[in-house]
Parts: sequence; structure tokens; C-alpha cells
Amino acid sequence: MSELTARPVPVSVSVSADEVREWLRDRVAAHTGRPVEEIRPDLPLTEYGLDSVYVLGLCAEIEDHYGIEVEPTVMWDNPALDPLAEALVPLITAH
Amino acid sequence: MTSAVPASPGRTAGVAGDHVHDKHISALEELFGDAGDPVNPVGRAETVAADERGEMLAAGEDLLTGFGLNAHFVPEALGGRLTGLEQLIGVMRAVYRRDPCLGLGYGAGSFMAGVNVWTAGTAAQQLRLADRLLAGDRAACAYHELAHGNDFSRTGLTALPGPDGRRRLNGRKEIVANLRRAGSMVLFARTNPAPGSRSHSQLLLDTDDLDPGSIQHLERFGTVGMRGVQLGGIEFTDCAVPPGSVLGGTAGLGVETALRSFQLTRIALPGMTVGLLDTALRTTLRGARSRPLYGGTVTDLPLSRSILAEAFADLLLADTFTTVAARSVHTAPAQAGVYASAVKSFVPPVLMRAVYRLSELLGSQFYLRGAEQPLFQKLLRDVQPSAFGHASRVSCQSALLPQLPLTARRGWLGAEGAVLPAETFRPGQPLPGMRFEDLALTGGGRDPLSRSLVAGAADARDDGGIAAQARFWCAELDALAAAASGLGPGSAGPAASPYAFGLTTRWAGVLAASACLNTWWHRPAGADAFAARPTGVLAALHRLGTHLDHHRDPLPGALAEPLYTELVRRFDAGLTFDLDCRPTGA
Repeated sequence: MSELTARPVPVSVSVSADEVREWLRDRVAAHTGRPVEEIRPDLPLTEYGLDSVYVLGLCAEIEDHYGIEVEPTVMWDNPALDPLAEALVPLITAH
Repeated sequence: MTSAVPASPGRTAGVAGDHVHDKHISALEELFGDAGDPVNPVGRAETVAADERGEMLAAGEDLLTGFGLNAHFVPEALGGRLTGLEQLIGVMRAVYRRDPCLGLGYGAGSFMAGVNVWTAGTAAQQLRLADRLLAGDRAACAYHELAHGNDFSRTGLTALPGPDGRRRLNGRKEIVANLRRAGSMVLFARTNPAPGSRSHSQLLLDTDDLDPGSIQHLERFGTVGMRGVQLGGIEFTDCAVPPGSVLGGTAGLGVETALRSFQLTRIALPGMTVGLLDTALRTTLRGARSRPLYGGTVTDLPLSRSILAEAFADLLLADTFTTVAARSVHTAPAQAGVYASAVKSFVPPVLMRAVYRLSELLGSQFYLRGAEQPLFQKLLRDVQPSAFGHASRVSCQSALLPQLPLTARRGWLGAEGAVLPAETFRPGQPLPGMRFEDLALTGGGRDPLSRSLVAGAADARDDGGIAAQARFWCAELDALAAAASGLGPGSAGPAASPYAFGLTTRWAGVLAASACLNTWWHRPAGADAFAARPTGVLAALHRLGTHLDHHRDPLPGALAEPLYTELVRRFDAGLTFDLDCRPTGA
């Protein structure tokens, strides 16, 4: 097999919900092909076509970026970016 | 939620001995008797006649009730005989060899409903359904709505609280097997008007408990194939839901429960359908050997023998992949979802193409309605819904796609990763118990079946072309890893590109190759003459390359001829063509 691919630089462990939310907005914009300004953190991701199994790709990116393991259902239990960022912060900090 | 299925005592206990499983299949074969006997009430003639009438074969249903088929859908801990998917597939394959309508219309629907309850039901709900099934009753698995197809997250049927706080059903389900005659149903309903994946639930309902005035059964749906299966529809109007119906006791877990529990059926259904190809192959061979052509019989022609050998190799490929996936549920349950989607997207088209090619071999005879043809034509019709029924190819690929980039980075390119335990690749050998609670929504980027390919290839001796195959499939995994890790965001949604979907097919191909190679590497020492030679695995891998469009070459004569010889040997000895190679009267 080939070499291990470069991983993103681990972010600071004292991450804030704001930082996480902004990073998430950026990723949702990339996933949906919309300008980042259009992604509202208070609207459910289903508004942007990200639901069911399709949101699991975003979950994988969160895992890789923050070096944490995320129960995929966290994406469903927190359907908008505001609550999702709040839910992720303790996981990232604990890591 | 509580679970009545106790945690497995662990690896040492294993599942019920293989002889028990063997005994059940032999008993079932004995009950079915000789399919060619014209006075056999469950023989070929009666099976075809019932199908022509669009009816289930009544004598066959009675036979299965007498046999206690339903017990095979109920976990052992709840009084049934379900210990693992491989055993269930073995029993159901015996049914599919005789009549796929009996397999789907008597049995598989109840199993589909059952897995929801065994995975997510409360102890009381599990006991309730187990009792109903063990008493010989049917369960309908009511997910499908014509307006939404396999996209069940857009389900329109609602079970929302009414003014008195009690949930009421409104809406309809369509094209559900046995809906009218089932005593129980698992109904997939929207229990929250909000969008998202926490707004649905399964309801476990006894039809006797519903107000008949608020239910209307729709007319039966006629179909091209599986004509005997009674596909119904139902419309609810303000139908009160009895208390205690929400599966697991908590609303909102429906999508999660479906994605976890249907991993089992996505593996089991293609595994059962291998029995259909088994009988299609036997029927074709019977016809071809008795058909005089060019001064001999059809089977004297090398082209005919090659097509028969290729269908045999397709069967071995399909069986090996589904068997390994079925066994991996015990050894790597967290990855079962990946392997289930790979099997359900890849295996049914292989089976369909094989049956179709056999129809070409029969040539003009296939157009007639005499001799072997009516049964064969029925099998060609019956195999069609295997591709889209329960979970379509594209919905399985859509489940794989979001997991592909992470699996590439973590599972394939990552420095470490577990392989599957060796027993995964030893069909019929004991396994740790099956734990429904360990089924997961995603594989977490881990892919131990692919790891087993890489590990096995590193140790492979150069035995008759196997090592070269191993190197080839490892190179394919490397290329796939490079392609998948370069997939941009946005390629995982329903609007993903054909290129991205194609990568999931390549992933399934690597998994199938690993299943074939590892089953060969872990073969038992005392294998029979055919299983001890690499002919079967090399032919299966050659066919795998054909299905993935790597090449269009016919099976080389060095593989086709010994495979054809084995096919005829099994045919004459009354043995099945799958890995089991067991006596059958089909």
C-alpha cells in the first residue's frame, strides 16, 4: 500500500463553538456547492440537501479534521450547525 | 431500550453446530422431494401451474408451515432457530431452488419485518413478534410508498398525535408483500413533521388491534415476475395506534433502525437468490443435454459449455461474496453495513446476467412453451426484482459513497488496520454469536475485508496463478484508494457523478475478490477434488473482471472445461452448484 496521506494539522484543543461552526459552514458550502454566506447555521442541514446517509460524509470530514471519533447520529440529533458545533466542542476538547 | 436477545456468550460457545443446520436443510429437501416427479404436489409442474395462475403454491406453503420455516427468522434466544445469516441463507436457498415465490412470498417478507424488531424492539415487542411467527403467522414489512421508492426518509405516511394525544395513522403503503394476510406488520411512519433523520419510527402492529373502519386495503399489484407473491397496499384514515406500538418505545429512531437492521436482509436476500440461479443452471443443462443440434447435443459445442461454465463461475462468485459477508456479520459487525451494501449492489446484477445468458443458450427453444421452458421463463422473470427489490442498486451505492473517502484515507492508506478473523473465510465452521446491537450506521472508515486481501497477498505463494491475481487486486485497491481520496466534497449526495458511483462498484469488486481469494487461502485441508484445485476461484475472479468491465474475454478453456466437467458431475449426482454442494431434488 502507499504511504499514509497527509492528515490535517490538528487544531487547538481549546476550540470554540464559533470556530467549529465557521469551519462547518465552510464544509457545508463545499459539499453543496453554495457560497458560504448562504449557509445559515440555524437552519437544518436538510434545507441544503444534506440528510440521511448523505450527511455521513460530512461526519467523516469532522473526524479527520479534528482527529476525533463521532457517532454518526450526532449529525441527526443536531440537525443545524449551531447545535452541532455546540455538541462537537466537548468531544474535541476531550480529545 | 431493552433487548430480549441476550448478548452472545462469546467466541467459545459459537453458533449451533453445523450438523443441526445441515439437518434442517436435508429435512426440507426431503419434504420437497423430487421436483421432476409429475405427481409431486410441490414439483416443477405444480410450481409452474400456480405461477401461471398468479397464486402462491398452496401445497408449498403448507409444507413450509409444517417444516416450521418461520422459526428460522426468529433468534434462538426467543425460541427460534436463527443463529446466523449463513444458516438462514442455506435454508432459504433450498426454498428458492424450488420456487422463488415461496421464498419471497412465504418467508423473506417476515424476515425483513423481523430484523427491525430483533434490532430495536423492546423485550415485550420481540416476544410478541416471535410468538406470532412461531405460531405460523406472517409479518408484513410495510415501508414502501410508490411516491418515494427506496428513499424511505421521505415517507409520507404519518403517525402523529391526535387531539387526544394518541397517535393516528394517515396515508398509504404500496407494494408490500402479504399486507392483506399478515397478522402483524412493521410499519414505517413519520412520527414528527420536522425534516431530518429523527422524525420516523417503526410501529409494530397486530392487524387485529386496528379499527377496520379506518383501514382500506388496495387492490393487489400485478407483477411481471414473482407472480405468486401477493403485493398489497393499504390506506389509513385517522387509524388509532394502539399504545406500545412504537418500536423500542422511543419515537424518532426509525431511520437508524432501518439502516442498521436491513444490513442483514441486504446480505441475506442475494444469498437466497443464488438458489434461483442454481435451478436455472440445472434447468438449462437438462434442456441443453437433450437437445439435438448439428449432429450432437447443444452441450457438445464448446461455446455452450463455456456459457454454462461461466454461469457456474458466476454462481460461485455470488455465493462466495455473500457467504463471507454473512459470516463477517459475526466477526466484524461494525462493518456489516458496508459489506451488505456492496453485496446488495453487486450480486443481484451478476445473478440476473447469468440467468439471461442461459436463456440465450437455450436459443429458439426458449421461445417455446414446452418441456423445460416454462420453468426457465419463470426463473428469468423471478430474478428481475432482486436488483431493485428491498434496496435498489443505487440506494446501496449511495450508502457506500459517503464512506468512501474516509475508508480510503483511514482504512486503505492508513498504516494500520485489522484483518478479518480467519474463521470468516471458512464456510460452515463455528462463529461467535450474532449481536444485533453491534450493527453500526457506518464502518468508521475501517475495511478489514480489504485488509485481508493485502495481508493474504503478502503471504501468497505462487500457486497456479493465484498470487498473480492477488497482486492484481491489490494494485486495483491502490488505484481505487488514490481515486477515492481525491474525491471532492459534494460527490457523496444523490446528485453524485457517475464517476463517483463507479468507484463504489470498484470497491465492491475488491471486496468480492478478497472474499474469493481468502476463501481459497483458508480452504479446509480435507477439501474434495474440485475444492482442492484453484479452478473455481480463478474462474470466479475471471468472471469478476468481466462484470467490472476489466475485459470481455470468455473463460479460458483451461478453466471452462474442468468447470463444465464438475457441473455435469454435480448435475448427474443431484448436487447443488454452490459452495455447499449438497444433495437436492430440485
